[in-house]
Amino acid sequence: MSPDLDTTVKLHIYRAIAETTNAPSAAEVARDLGVGSSEVEAAFGRLYSRGLLVLEPGDPTRIRMAPPFSGIETAFPVEVRGRRYYANCVWDALGVPAALHEDAVIPASDGFSGEPITLEVRDGRPVPQECVIHFAVPAARWWHDIVYT
Amino acid sequence: MLLFRSEETVERWCEAHRVPRRPLVNLEQLWHLAVVWYENRLTAESRRPTPQDMVGIFASVGLEGPFWDPAADSWAGAS
Repeated sequence: MSPDLDTTVKLHIYRAIAETTNAPSAAEVARDLGVGSSEVEAAFGRLYSRGLLVLEPGDPTRIRMAPPFSGIETAFPVEVRGRRYYANCVWDALGVPAALHEDAVIPASDGFSGEPITLEVRDGRPVPQECVIHFAVPAARWWHDIVYT
Repeated sequence: MLLFRSEETVERWCEAHRVPRRPLVNLEQLWHLAVVWYENRLTAESRRPTPQDMVGIFASVGLEGPFWDPAADSWAGAS
């Protein structure tokens, strides 16, 4: 059985990001898949409703987040095999090597002092590093405040 | 969530932003969450964990209580 359009669109988005580091627009997905832009835009909306995409405020044809990846440059770069991806937060920064099943270097910093803190994933494990992660927003509000969270 | 070198800088960040100190997670715990959330994200079968899944996933790394419950009424309306 062939996958439904939403699954096809989702897989195309993730594979495009994995290959290029950039999130494709609805028009680019439509072109690559040979389907209409309006159909892809509707699929983007359904994927947002399912918590799998966050769309750019004011432009539902562009992807702000395809977690763990960010559609825009952020303070959470992730270096994998010479490519630089961007994640949405420190959790997602670890999610990039988890999703790609690759080693990674994450040049991060202390949220208060700005002191550099480099995280590294090697052979499927994080290299021990002196750090803690503070969750300021409770789980019940994560999706509501997804950009801040 | 934000990364910090130590609990001291967490405290200073909370003071500067006038927000309450909330739970801390270590690197091993966060890696476990990242793997559970995202290891299948590039496959057709992937889906976001349900709220019920999430409670079990958090509990598996020792994160329990209403803060970690997406359906907790006590937090749903909190700012």
